Amino acid sequence: MAGFSSALQLTDLNDFITPSQECIKPVKIDRTAGKVGKIRIEDDGTYYNVSDTGVETKLQKAQITLNDCLACSGCITSAESVLITQQSQDELYRVLQENMAHIANNESFKLVVVSVSPQALASLAAKYSLSMADANRKLVGFFKKLGVHHVFDTTFSRNFSLLESCREFVRRYKESEVNKKVLPMLASACPGWICYAEKTHGSYILPYISTVKSPQQIMGSLDYFARCMGATPDNIYHVTVMPCFDKKLEASRSDFYNDVYSTRDVDCVITSGEVDLMLAKENISLADVEDGTLDTLFGADAMVGHTGGGSGGYLEHIARYAAGQILGTELQKLNFKSLRNQDFQEVTIEADGKPTLKMALAYGFRNIQNIVQKIKRNKCPYHFVEIMACPSGCTNGGGQIRLAEGESTLKDRLADVTGLYNSVPVQSPWSVESVTSLYEEWLGGVDSEKCRQMLHTQYHEVEKMTNALTIKW
Amino acid sequence: MATLSALCTLEGHQDQVWCVAWNPAGTLLASCGSDKTIRIWAEEGSQWVCKSVLTEGHQRTIRTVAWSPCGNYLASASFDATIGIWSRKEGEFECIATLEGHENEVKAVAWASSGNLLATCSRDKSVWIWEVTEDEEFECASVLSAHTQDVKSCTWHPNRDVLASCSYDNTIKLFKEEIDDWSCYATLESHDSTVWKVCFDSEGHRLASVSDDKTVKIWQEYLPGNQEGIPTVGNEGTWKCVCTLSGYHDRTIFDIDWSQVNGRLVTGCGDDGIRIFSEEVGSDKNAPSFSMSASVRKAHEQDVNSVAWNPKVSSLLASCSDDGLVKLWRFKDGE
Amino acid sequence: MSLDNANPVVYERTREREVLPEDEDDDIEDLFDDREVFDLIREINDPEHPLTLEELNVVDSENVHVNDTEGTVEVLFTPTIPHCSMATLIGLSIRVKLLRALPPRFKVDVKIAPGTHASEDAVNKQLADKERVAAALENSHLLKVVNQCLASKRKLG
Repeated sequence: MAGFSSALQLTDLNDFITPSQECIKPVKIDRTAGKVGKIRIEDDGTYYNVSDTGVETKLQKAQITLNDCLACSGCITSAESVLITQQSQDELYRVLQENMAHIANNESFKLVVVSVSPQALASLAAKYSLSMADANRKLVGFFKKLGVHHVFDTTFSRNFSLLESCREFVRRYKESEVNKKVLPMLASACPGWICYAEKTHGSYILPYISTVKSPQQIMGSLDYFARCMGATPDNIYHVTVMPCFDKKLEASRSDFYNDVYSTRDVDCVITSGEVDLMLAKENISLADVEDGTLDTLFGADAMVGHTGGGSGGYLEHIARYAAGQILGTELQKLNFKSLRNQDFQEVTIEADGKPTLKMALAYGFRNIQNIVQKIKRNKCPYHFVEIMACPSGCTNGGGQIRLAEGESTLKDRLADVTGLYNSVPVQSPWSVESVTSLYEEWLGGVDSEKCRQMLHTQYHEVEKMTNALTIKW
Repeated sequence: MATLSALCTLEGHQDQVWCVAWNPAGTLLASCGSDKTIRIWAEEGSQWVCKSVLTEGHQRTIRTVAWSPCGNYLASASFDATIGIWSRKEGEFECIATLEGHENEVKAVAWASSGNLLATCSRDKSVWIWEVTEDEEFECASVLSAHTQDVKSCTWHPNRDVLASCSYDNTIKLFKEEIDDWSCYATLESHDSTVWKVCFDSEGHRLASVSDDKTVKIWQEYLPGNQEGIPTVGNEGTWKCVCTLSGYHDRTIFDIDWSQVNGRLVTGCGDDGIRIFSEEVGSDKNAPSFSMSASVRKAHEQDVNSVAWNPKVSSLLASCSDDGLVKLWRFKDGE
Repeated sequence: MSLDNANPVVYERTREREVLPEDEDDDIEDLFDDREVFDLIREINDPEHPLTLEELNVVDSENVHVNDTEGTVEVLFTPTIPHCSMATLIGLSIRVKLLRALPPRFKVDVKIAPGTHASEDAVNKQLADKERVAAALENSHLLKVVNQCLASKRKLG
C-alpha cells in the first residue's frame, strides 16, 4: 500500500487474502506434456511437482508485471512486491553492479542516466538543509560515484510538456466551437489521476484528458540524447527520481515501451524517499557528498524552474498563452480564488468584449471527484483544470521523504519543500534556446508527426472484471 | 416489570427489509430493503398505512435511509454504489440528486445535525463527507480512507460536527474537520469482530456500539482536564469503553438505537430478538451498569436488521427484518 | 487460468440414504437431520473441477450438524488445498444452497473445517457476513457461477 495516491487505493477491494493470492490476473502457464504428478508445498512456500516416478521439480512462480496490473481492473496496491522486484533502489543497485562488472571485464555496458524531478530534489534539499543548487550538485556527485554516467533535471523535458499543453489547449478551444467534448481540457501529468480515470471513469472522461506526455515520459522519449552519445535506447538504462510512487506505474505503461529496441523509455523509477534510503545504505548524509559536475548536454548549467507552483505550472502557462492567443491580451498576475478548500482554486481571465476563460486547480481525490461529477452532469464551468491526485500537489507527493522521529511537522516540511522548489529562478519555456532548436533539429518543427509521436500519448479504458472466479465480494 | 408488546405489523416489502428510520417529527417512518424500494408509513386514524412507495431510485438493494434534520429530505444508500436524495414537498417525494463516487456498495448515510453535511460509507473502505450547497447541490468535502475494511455504518454527533464510523475491521473511528480537511482523530478498539452500528446518546458524551462478537459496548468521552485524570490529546476528549454487555445476545447484533427521549437502548439481533437495556439508577458514570428491561425473543421470524425509537413518542419503537416485515412496538415502563 | 489444484484426490460417494416408511408418512413431523442437510449440499459442483464437493471430500456427513429444535445448521467444509483461492466461492455456494433449500427459520453457519485453510478466519468472517453475501448475490457474474455450482448434473435416484 505504501505511498500510492488515495485515488488508486480506493479502487482496491482486496482486503484479506494474502498478497500472493490477492492477484486475480489470469496467468498463462506453459504446460509440459505428460502426466502431472502431485504438488507438494514446502514450508517456505515453494511448490514442487512430484511426478509418478518420484522426480521433483520446483514449480515456477507466476510472474506479474506492473503493466499487467495496469491492464487489470482488480487490485493495484498489492503490486508492492512487484514494484520491489522491478523498480526500486535495489534494482538500480543491481544494474549498477552488473555494469561495473562489465566495465571491469571490458565488456559492453549500459549507459546509466538518471533524470531528477525538481520536486524530488526539493524534498532531499529540505531534509538535508541544503539549497536547491547545492542539493543538485551533491546528488549528481552521489549518483556518479555509484557509477551513473549522466544526471539530468526533468525541468528540461517539462519545457516540452508545457509548450505542448499550451498549444493543445488553444487547438481544443478552437475545436470546441464545433465539438463540445474537447473542453474542459484536463491535465495529464499526474499518473495517479490517469490510472484512476482509466479504471473508473473510462470513455466519458478520457477524451478530456490532455494527450501531452508527462515530463518523465518526454525525458524517456528523448532519443536525441542517445543519438548524441552514439547509443541506441536499449543500451541506455534510464532512471528517474520522482516525488511519487504512481510514476512507477506510468513508466510501466505499454504506451511507453519502445518496440523497435524492445526497451522501456524509462527503465526504473525511484522516489526521493528511496534515494534517501540509498544515502542511508551508503551511510552518508547528502550534505557530506562531494559535488559532482552537472551535465550540460541540454544547455543549462545552472538550475532553472518554471513559474506556476509545485505541480509544474500547467495552469499558469496555459492561462498566459491562451490569454494572448485567444483573448489578445497579456496577463499580469493570476488571481487565484480558493473555493471549497485550499486544493481547489479557480482563475477567471477576462478581456473586454471577449468571452471569459475559467481555469481551476483541483488537487487531491475529493476535488477530483467534484470535477469529474461536474463534467458528467455537464456543469463544469472550466476550460482547463490542473488535476493532481495528491493534496497540495506534487511537492507533497507520496514518494517524498517521510519525516523521521522528532523532525518538524508535516506542514512545516511541506512548506520547506515548496519554498525550496520555488527558490529556483524561473524561465519561460518559450525562450529556452535548446528547446527551440530541438523542435527544429530533432522533431522536424512544431506540430510535426514526430512531435505527436514523441510528445503525446493516449489513454485506454480498463474494462471491469467479469470473471466471477476472481470477483471480490 | 417493563414490557415490550407488538403494536402492528406493516406488510408491503417484497424481500428482506434492511432499515427503518423515523422522520424528526416522529410522524413518518421510512423503510427500505432488497426489493429496491423505499416505503413511507404514517398513522391514519388508528391505523398505520403505507403512504408512498419510492421506486426507480436505485438498481440494487437499498441498505439505509436517513431523514435530514429538517425532515424535508430523505437520503438513501444503495448497493448500487450511489446515494439518492429525495425531496419531500406537499407529501410527495421526488429524487433530486444521485451522488456518485463510491466504488462499491454504499452501506450507510447520515445527516449532520446542522443539515449542511452528509456522511456516507461503503464497502470500498472509505467514508465520504458531502457538503450541501444552497442550491441543493452536494459536493464532496472529504474522502476518508482510515478504515482498512468495509465500513458498515456512520453517524453524526448530536451537536458537534464529529462523525463516528464502524467497520468490518472491528474498530470505531471518529472524524472531525481540521484546518482544511477532515481527518480521523480517534480509533476505538475493543470489539473482537465486525462493528455493525454505533450511536450517540442525546448529549453526545456517550457512544454505544454493537458487533458480530455478540456484545454491546458503551463508550464514555473524557474531555481535557477531566476529574478522573484520563489522559487526553489536544482539545479532543478520549473515548473509553466503560461497559460491555455480553451474554444477552445469541448471534450477531445488527443495530442499536439510543432513545433521545427515554435514554434507553434497543438492539436488533440476528437471533430474531429485540432487547431493551436501561442504565441502572445511581450507576457510576465511569463503570455504568445496564440491565435488560424487556425483550422479545422471537420479535420477527428472521434476523432483526434495524430498530429505531420514535424521536417524540418515547414508548414507540419500529423494527424490520429479513422476514420482509416492519413492526411497531409499544414499550411500557414498569414503574 | 490455471487450476489451483490440478490433480485432486477423488473420493468415493456415500451410498444413497434409505427411504424409511415413516419418511413417506405425512402424519409424522419430519425433522431435518444431519444426513438430510448433507444430501442438499453433496451434489454441489466444484467451481473448477467437474466433480462434486462430496467427491472432492470438501463436504462430508460428519461435518454437518443440524439441530432442528434450535433451528441451527452448521456446515464445516474442507478446501482441497490450504491455499485454495476458491474457498470463499465454495463456501458461498454452500450457503446459498442452504438459504434456498431450508426453511427460513434455520440459522445457517458455513465455516471452514478448523485448520484446513491458510485464511480460515478471514474466509469464515466473510461467509458469516450476511450483508456481504447479499451484495455478492446481486452481482450477476458471481451469481451465474454460484448457480452453475448448484446446478445438479446428476439427479439423485
